[in-house]
Parts: sequence; structure tokens; C-alpha cells
Amino acid sequence: MFHLSGYEYFLGFLLIASSVPILSLIASKILRPRTGGPERRTTYECGMEPIGGAWIQFNIRYYMFALVFVVFDVETVFLYPWAVAFSQLGLLAFIEALIFIAILVVALVYAWRKGALEWS
Amino acid sequence: MNLAEDVQLISFGLLGVLMIAAALGVVLLDQIVYSAFLLGGVFLCMSGLYVLLNADFVAAAQILVYVGAVNVLILFAIMLVNKQETFKPVGNRWLRQGATALVCVGLFALLSTMVLATPWVVDTTVVLTSTVVQIGKHFFSDYLLPFELASVLLLMAMVGAIILARRDFIPEKMATDTQDALTLPERPRELTGTVSDR
Repeated sequence: MFHLSGYEYFLGFLLIASSVPILSLIASKILRPRTGGPERRTTYECGMEPIGGAWIQFNIRYYMFALVFVVFDVETVFLYPWAVAFSQLGLLAFIEALIFIAILVVALVYAWRKGALEWS
Repeated sequence: MNLAEDVQLISFGLLGVLMIAAALGVVLLDQIVYSAFLLGGVFLCMSGLYVLLNADFVAAAQILVYVGAVNVLILFAIMLVNKQETFKPVGNRWLRQGATALVCVGLFALLSTMVLATPWVVDTTVVLTSTVVQIGKHFFSDYLLPFELASVLLLMAMVGAIILARRDFIPEKMATDTQDALTLPERPRELTGTVSDR
């Protein structure tokens, strides 16, 4: 039995948002010219010539950023109920959440000192 | 105000069909990048099912953690791997596929018998306050220690990940050995110079 409120608006937004790319693809399929040479097959029809293939090996530095992002993403999940219930929780919960954040600031400082956030 | 019963049913059916189609695409498609993106689609459909089960916090966590973090990590891992290679065909292909199919069908039969045999208890009591507020109250009263321990766990995970990704722990001899193995996903830093710097 579904009893969450406000989700009919969510459903409406979801339907409208998912129809936007479908409609734009259909419109461009109808409107685009039928002719065209090999340039239409390139990645960017106007703009820079792409150099090399798209399937290249990316740098490991991107992975470091992703790892740091994941840690703070999970932190967000834990802090979200605290933020929602903030007015009903009181001062003690505020201090406890500060401890939680302080431990993760240690992680941030560690990543910073180890150069995981640098783009050298 | 609630969603109508029909709307719920249609949403459930659509989500289920989309999820099964995306999961089949994950398994069957050749391009591994398509599989990774379709895996994100599976996770999104799963969060929709969580919403239909009144678990809005779980749905939000599903999108944040699985689509936002885990799927991004999978995509990054794919992008870190070298170019697409043509793999050698394996011998005894039919034997391997048959064994896999056997295991999968057995697992499916086991799970479906379990689902059918379990007497599901339907709790009809309606929680009036928001589930997120309830979870927040539990976090800061009786589940406080696991909450703080989660922070320590995240700290440990981050330190371990940075140490592994920086490859500081590798002694000199092993580091020189990896010079010829250029197809490894994690190459030493000095080798990832001009080619992959984009």
C-alpha cells in the first residue's frame, strides 16, 4: 500500500522530463536534411576534428577524484536524515554530527596532504 | 493525496520491464561501456521500486550511492583499462555456457521457491511521520555508535584507496617489473605521461 505524499508531482515531472529527449530526437529526425557526406559521420559535425579514437586509456588521477567523491557521497547519505530531522534533534545531535564530520575532515586532510586532490 | 492503484500498478509493471530489459542488456551487450550505463538504469529502476514500497530514504540512498558513486567507479575502471582488444575464443564454449545456464536456472528456481514458500506478513499500520525523520532520530539515539563507526569506516576506506591508487607500497623491484606490462589498468605514474593525458 503506497502512502507517501507528493509523489504524483514527481511522476508528472518524471513523465515530462523523459519525454523531452524523446521529442527532441524525433524532431531532429524529422527536420534534419537527408543528404550528407562522410563528415556527417564524425563525432562533431561542426567544431574540432577529433584526434584518435574515443576508446583511450584515461589517467589514473581521475580515479583518485572518483574515490574521494565516493567517500563524501556516502557521507551525504548519512547526513541527510540529520538535516531533515534537525529541528527535532537538539544540541547533542548537533555535536554528534560535528564529530562525524570531523572524522571525515581527517580523511579530507589526509587526501589533501597525500596529493590526491592535486592536478600536478 | 495518493497515487491511484492503477498508476501504481502501471508504474510497477513499467519499472519491472525496464529493469529486466536493462539487466539483460548488461549481460548480453558486447560493448562494456553500454553494459555499465545500463547497470545505472537497473539501479534507477530499483530505486523506483523502493519508492513504490514506501522506502523513500532507501530510494534516495540507492540513487546517491549506487548510481552516483558505484556506477561512476565502474565507469572509471572501464575507462582506465586499455584499448578494446580482440579476445581469443575460449575452447569448450558450449560446456561453459551450459554450466553457467545450469547454475543460473538453479539459483532462479531456489529463489522463486523461497519467495513462494515464505508466508509474507503484510503490515498495514501507516507510519505518519516521514521515514527520513525516523531514521534521523534513530541515528542520534540508539544507533549512535554505528553512525560514528561508519565515519571511521569511511576514513579507513579512503586511506586504503589512496594508498592503493598511489602505489606507494610497491618496492623498487616490483615497480620496475611493471614497466613492460603496459596493459595493466594501474600503470605507474611516470608512464602515464603524454598518451593518456586527456
